[in-house]
Parts: sequence; structure tokens; C-alpha cells
Amino acid sequence: MYFLAFFFIFWMSVLVLRLVQLQVIDHVKLKTEAIHQSQNIKKIEPKRGSIYDRNMTILARSVPRDSVYFHPLEGESHSEQWTRAKKIGQILQLSSSKLRTIKTQIDKDTNFIWLARKIEEQKAYQVKNMNLNGIFLREENKRYYPHGNCAAHVIGRVDIDEIGVSGIEYKYNTLLQGVKGEGLIMRDAKRRRYRFETLKPPVNGKDLILTLDETIQYIAEKELKNAVVQSQAEWGTVIITEPSSGEILAMANYPTYDLNHLPDPPTKLDRNKAVHQTYDPGSTFKIVTLSAALENKSVGYEEKFDCTPGYVVYAGNTFWDHERLGVLTFPEVFIHSSNVGAIFIGQRVGEENLFQAIEHFGFGQRTGVDLPAEERGLLNSLEKWTKISVASHSIGYEISVTPIQMLQALNVIANRGIIVPPRTVKQIHAEDMQDLSPLPYKRAISEETAAAVRNILLDVVSSGTGITAQIPGYSVYGKTGTAQKYDRIAKRYLSSAHIASFVGVVENERPLFSMIVVIDDPKGHYYGSQVTAPVFRETAKKILRYLCIPPSKRSLDTLIASKAGRQISE
Amino acid sequence: MVRKKLGKKEIILGITCTLFALLILSFYVWHQTESVSLGYDSAELEQRVIQLEKEVEKLETIKSNLLALDRVEKIARERLKLTEPKDGQIIYQDIDKEH
Repeated sequence: MYFLAFFFIFWMSVLVLRLVQLQVIDHVKLKTEAIHQSQNIKKIEPKRGSIYDRNMTILARSVPRDSVYFHPLEGESHSEQWTRAKKIGQILQLSSSKLRTIKTQIDKDTNFIWLARKIEEQKAYQVKNMNLNGIFLREENKRYYPHGNCAAHVIGRVDIDEIGVSGIEYKYNTLLQGVKGEGLIMRDAKRRRYRFETLKPPVNGKDLILTLDETIQYIAEKELKNAVVQSQAEWGTVIITEPSSGEILAMANYPTYDLNHLPDPPTKLDRNKAVHQTYDPGSTFKIVTLSAALENKSVGYEEKFDCTPGYVVYAGNTFWDHERLGVLTFPEVFIHSSNVGAIFIGQRVGEENLFQAIEHFGFGQRTGVDLPAEERGLLNSLEKWTKISVASHSIGYEISVTPIQMLQALNVIANRGIIVPPRTVKQIHAEDMQDLSPLPYKRAISEETAAAVRNILLDVVSSGTGITAQIPGYSVYGKTGTAQKYDRIAKRYLSSAHIASFVGVVENERPLFSMIVVIDDPKGHYYGSQVTAPVFRETAKKILRYLCIPPSKRSLDTLIASKAGRQISE
Repeated sequence: MVRKKLGKKEIILGITCTLFALLILSFYVWHQTESVSLGYDSAELEQRVIQLEKEVEKLETIKSNLLALDRVEKIARERLKLTEPKDGQIIYQDIDKEH
């Protein structure tokens, strides 16, 4: 009995002492060893922020995708490694050039080789099921654009490592990408993960809410594509903004591309012509001449200009009208878009005043739109102006502008003389919702001048060159433009190649939206009134329907509509 | 030297103490085991939450893809044989006036 009790106590004491040794005395040492064996630090990739339109429709989002990598086995020869890589290469349908790269890496004894990154789910499933030694899958994020080519040039794209390379993706890359974190993975003897501790939490990228409206963008893209294809033009661009806020509702370019299937090799297709392409604006620029004349009171409203010959010789150069227009009053010069009349008026305004007005409208400077690679256009300094510069500038030549600059200029009229810089990002969506404050506004012309210009531009659409932009029941004003293209090699304007444009505003008691349509080198009909004004009209009509904005006056259209309604109900 | 004989009470006390110590140790071991086991469950559940969150995002993206306007228009035109309304077919009603 004593012996049994003694043995029991002794055994228990040994056990307790051993436990004390393991848990107390050697605790630190053993814990360190255990940590080395069972824990490893892992970089935690932050999730790239999503991009939404103004109605929270997803335009870009990162989704998980598996990547496959290769790891040589212990004692495996190069040829064995190569055989294994080829086998998996067949499943992954790797190109011969990719396989060659893998072979080179194997020959260089590389320990970690990417076989394919961000593969389709089905392929990843196949690879997983094969259970091949030394072939591993790693989860990464792949940028996905659910709407394919919708607003491709605005959204832009990312590279394989999810770093923005164009558009919003590039401009707001720092905000979108977030900051990497660190985590501690704890595994048991069977390498099973039983605990994960976040050492440094990753900061996910912030979501961006754009000013774009997916539906308006779709309408603009569709109408633009039809026009460019029909007129066999080189390219076209449409920008639609809300004048009062400068918010860009749509920015379409054609040709365009699918963001999920990038052209290989990369082409210049991803250049956003709306902010990057410069061109001679032609008659749309007469808005500036008109404003300058009114602002400086250089010309009387009822004054008449003799445009009967249909041309004018100025400093040895001949400028032509598109047709003989006879004697025109000051507003008629713009309503019928007479080059001869505009040159007379420009001459009266004078070099300095005209130059100042051009600068006040923001030409020769970037608009500050939050998109990369914006061009500033070309505005020669007054010292570089030649004898014919006043005449050329009065009708929109000898100056290069971007479509966004031209639209900003028209928005000055819609905003009663104030320049409102355009923008594409409305909000930064985070825990603390951050509204982006617009850039400071500047006054370009007086309110009275803006109102007078608006009235003349209303006549341009109701009875002038812009008649094809009319929308019954709605108030529309704007200006057409048809400019000869400049051949930089031959250093002369081409009579056979044109850029057609129309810039206009749709109102309903207040300006609803403004739009510019530019089409490069249309074949057949090439006047702005024939090519771009109809695109403006059709696009605007569909937008008005989408926005459920009824006609403001009882027009022929509404009468027909009510008749049709009666027929339906009968 | 005569060793004092341990009494019954003392033996019982010794055994009780030992059993008590054993109980504490057992509790400690059980606690450790249970902690690790809960760690497994918790890690598994955390993974599951992450996976489900990813799944939700994936489904949202698929939904957005299915609602892409070009796809919807294609279905409307080709399968449902719908056409765009003409100007005269659109009637605007002033709801405020009617009520």
C-alpha cells in the first residue's frame, strides 16, 4: 500500500516537473522553435477598389482568379522538370514562346516559375484535379469589366499586376490599389492551418463613383458607332456633360475595344481622343468670335455685313463661304455660319481682344479634367500671330483644340459666362464617403454676353446651319463646324479631308446637358450639319426619353403622341 | 529510527491532493486541446466568410454582366422582337395634375 502510494506520488511528481520544464522553464525556447516550424508570414494583397457609374452600376471590379506556378522537385533533373512543365503546358494551352521562356527559366535553375496567371476557373479546376507534384495554384485578383467596352477609354485598364496603365485606372491608381498587409499563418504538424493572425491589416483600395451614367454612355457609344460606320470615317468622339457641375455623363470614342480582351500586341486604340486628340475646330469656334464681339461691344447687333461675293481676300489669302449668303446682319453671320462675315467681325474685335477672349475660354490650357494624357491644344502667343491670324482664328483655324476644350467653351454659355471644369469622378467611396469638390470656377464672359450668345445659337438650330439638330418640343442651341484637315507633312489644309463637328446644349427651363460630336474624315457628306448634328439629335432624343423629360411645349410631336395614345386605348 | 506510520486520513488527503492536481492538469490539457480545436473551427469559418464574401462579389459582377445594356438590347430585339418606340408612340403624362 505504501509502496503503491509512493510510486504514484513519485510518478505524478515527475510528470508535474516535466510539465513545469516544458511549459515554464523552456517555454520561450520551445515556443520560438515551434513558431519557426509552424508559422509563416504572408503578404496580404489589398483588394483593388471597384469603379461604379453614378447609379452604382459596376464598371470595374477585381475578382479572384487562380495562377499556376511551377516548383522543381528535390533531385529532379532539368529534362524531368521540362517534361512536367510541358505536360501542364498542354492543359493550360501555353504558346510556344511562353514554353520557350519556361525552358530557359528551368535551365537557369529558377526555383519559382509562373506558368500561367489568372486563368479561367475551368482550367484551374482541371489543374487542381490533376494533383501534380510541384505544380501549385495561388489565388490572385483579376480586373474584370462586366460591360466590356462600355466607357473603355474613360475607365482605362490595368496590367497583369493590377497597376493602372490608362484612364481612371491610371489616374487614380494610388487610391484604387490600397496598401499591402501582413499576416501570420499558424499550422499544425500536418501543416493544417489552424490560426491566422493579422499583423498589419491590408488597406483595401477605395471605390470610385464616376459621374458617368452607363445608359447615357451606351446611347452615345451606339449612335457614334452608327455614324462613324455609315460615314466611313476614321474615328469619332462624343462627350456629354451636365454644364452646371461639369460632370461628364458620357465620353465615347469609336473605334473602341473590349477591356476584357485587350488587343495583342497593344495598339494606339486606347488613346482617349476626347481629351487627347487636337484638331482645328472650324466654325464651332465662332462661338468665341461672337462672344468677343459682344463682350467688347465691337459690333452693333443690327449691323450688316456684305457677304455677297462668297469670299474675302485677307492679307493675300482667300477665305470662302460654303455658299453665297448675301448681306447678313450680325446674328445672321453666325446663324448661317459665314466665314466672310466672321472674318469681318474678327477684324473689328482686333487681335488683342480676340486673343484675350480665346484665353478666357480656356483654349491653349488643359481643362483639368481628371483623365490622363490631356492635351492643351495649340494656341500661338500673340507675338507669333501673322497677318492672317485674326482672320484664321475668327473662323476656327490656325488653332488646335481638344473636343473637351470645345465643349467646356460652350458650357460657358450655358453657365452664364462661368467656366466650370469637367470631371469624371463624383465620389470616393470609403467608410467616410468623400465628395470630390469641383475645381474653382472662373468667369470667362459677362452674364449679358452669355445670354446674347445663347439667343443667337438658339437661332442657329431653329433656322440656321444647325437645323438638323432640332428636337421638337425641346429647346436646343449649338453650332455646327466643318474644318479642313491640316496635313502636317505637306503643311497645308486638305480640301478633300474634313473634321465635322457639332456642339450643343439641350434645355428645359435650365440647361439639361451639353454635347459635342466630332467625326474625323467622313466620306460623302462631310458638313457638320449633315454628319454630326443628326448624331447630336438622335443621341439627345434617346437621353431625354431615358431621363423621362417631357417636351416643354405642346408641339406637333405631342399632338401625334396623344392621337396615338387615343388609338391605343380605343 | 522509527518511521511514523501514515494514518488513513493522511493517505486519503495525499490522494485527494494528487487527484486535485491531476484534475487541474487535465482541465489545463483539455482547455488547450479545446482552444486549438476552436482555432481550427474559427479559421475554417473565417475562410468560409471570406469565400462567401468573394462569392457575393462574384455574383454581383455576373449580375452586372448579364444586365449589360448591349446584351439586354440584343435579347429584346432578337428574342422578344421588340423595337424602339417611335416619337409619336411616347406619351408623357403629368401625374401631379391628375391627382
